[in-house]
Order: sequence, then C-alpha cells, then structure tokens
Amino acid sequence: MDKQSDISTALNHVRAATQELHGAISDAASKRGGAVKADIEIIPMKAKAVADSLKGSLGTQNQAAKKSLTEAVTYLEATGKQAAASVKTSGQAFQTSVRQALADARAAAQKVSEAVAATRSNGSKK
Amino acid sequence: MKNYVAVVFDDTGKAYQGLHTLWELDGDGAITVHGTAVIHRDNWGQVSVDTKETHPALATAVGVGMGALLGALAGPAGAAVGAAGGAAIGAATGGAVGLTTDLVRADHRDQAADETRFVLGNGQSAVIADVSEDDVSVIDSRMGELGGIVYRRAKSAVEDDAWLNDDYYPYDDYLYPYEYIPSRYYYPYYW
Repeated sequence: MDKQSDISTALNHVRAATQELHGAISDAASKRGGAVKADIEIIPMKAKAVADSLKGSLGTQNQAAKKSLTEAVTYLEATGKQAAASVKTSGQAFQTSVRQALADARAAAQKVSEAVAATRSNGSKK
Repeated sequence: MKNYVAVVFDDTGKAYQGLHTLWELDGDGAITVHGTAVIHRDNWGQVSVDTKETHPALATAVGVGMGALLGALAGPAGAAVGAAGGAAIGAATGGAVGLTTDLVRADHRDQAADETRFVLGNGQSAVIADVSEDDVSVIDSRMGELGGIVYRRAKSAVEDDAWLNDDYYPYDDYLYPYEYIPSRYYYPYYW
C-alpha cells in the first residue's frame, strides 16, 4: 500500500469513528422521552478517543486537510465537554445540552469529511 | 467544488435508492458526501423530513434549519420564506417552496447557468445532500439512471442567499453525516 493509500485509510477510520459518535448521540437524543444519562455518560470518553486519534494523524495530512482536522478536534473536544456537562444537569437543561453535543459532533463529522474531500481532491490531481 | 444537491424522485423508494447510491459513490471516492436527508411533499403540499425522531404514523414537519436550507436552495425569495416559515414551514409554507421558486425563476434569470432551482412537486420525494464533487457528471449520470432529476447550487451561493447567520439557521444539522435510512423504508420500498 502506498503512502497516499495509508493516509486515506487512516482518515476513513477516523471519519467512521466520528460518524459513530454522532450516531450514538443522535440515537440517544431521538429516543421518545429524550436521552437518558446512561446514554451520554460514555460520550466524553468516545469523543476523546476520536480526538486523540485525529491528533495522531495530523502530521501526515496536506495543509487543507490539516486545517479541517484541527477544527474537527476542536469540535470533538467541545462535544466531550458538552456531554460531560450535560450529565450534571437534568430535565430540559439536560436535553438542551445533549442537543448542543449533537450539533458539535455533527460539525466534527463535517470537518472530517471536508478533510477527506481535500485528500481525495489532492490525490486525483497527482 | 462544494455543492448542495437536491435530487427529486417520483417515489420514496427511489429516493432512498438515490441516497444509498450517493453514499456508494462516496465509498468509491468518486465524490465526498458531507450529509444527506430525505424529504417528502405529500399530496396536500406538506413537506416533511425523515429523521430518527420521525414516528411512522406522524411525519416530522420541516423545522427551521431544513426550512432555511430548502428556501435557500429555491433562491433568495425562498430563503425569506424559509426564515419566515420557521418550524411551521412544513404545514404552513412548505408548499410555497415550489411557488416561490417560480417567482424566483422569473425575477433572477441572470443566475449562473449551472445553478438550478429546487422544485418539489406534490407526492414527490427528494434527497438533499451536501457534497464535494470534482465532476458533476458523476452524480448526474447515476441519479439519472434511477430516474432522479438533479438540482444543484454552489454551497457558497446558498450561504450568500441565506443572508442570515447560520448560527441561527443551522441547516446542516438536519443532514445526517452518514447513510441513514429509517427502518420502515428498508421494506417494501428499499430493495
């Protein structure tokens, strides 16, 4: 496998992890009656794992991808913080906080897919 | 280039095939999909969007974010409708998306030729997607094979038309960043 393929594969793994994170929060938020704390307690750890993985892959990316991934890390950290804060609240405040975590996870997924697009575009020009 | 794409189909099953095909193209690396959603316009003109919160017996009306996106896809006047319609756009102004589009067509004929205005007729479904594509023919040909009509607007143009702070109209939030197909559409609609 060449270097470009390795980079793409690593990025695809990170993308899948970010999508899974969004899916987990989204599933919780869409429950009838709203999310419950047990669904959200695991989110900060998951968000940190994805963010750490992303940080580890930054060095191998092109400039455009690196910029998007750096922003993705920021959103992932915000997702984790928001989820951690949400479990300390209750009622409407909890649901609002979960929705904000969902929006941050969505933004992280968007940034990672932008990095994927930048890598693909870069690869097709070579 | 980054574009918003709306692919209109005559039935919901085809719309979900179209959605699946978009993600397949992403998996092949031919395009990059950032988010997708499927919307419907019923025979009474009400527009609804499939989300994880959509109960089978109760369609989810298009909310503020998706209303703003649909309006922006329909053009400047449509953006105003989206903003004004807010959460009630599905029931109150969803039907106006197409009507507004006709007005926009009449008033803005000088828009770029490669940008088309989104129209959703009664009884039709559409896949809305946020994509990066180097070659527009990839989506056009595959969606054409499925019987879909592709409408496309540059993301930058949509954002210009929306002229509202996207913090207040987070339309991307309605687009799932992965292939999401509600279980009820796997059968009988989805092969």
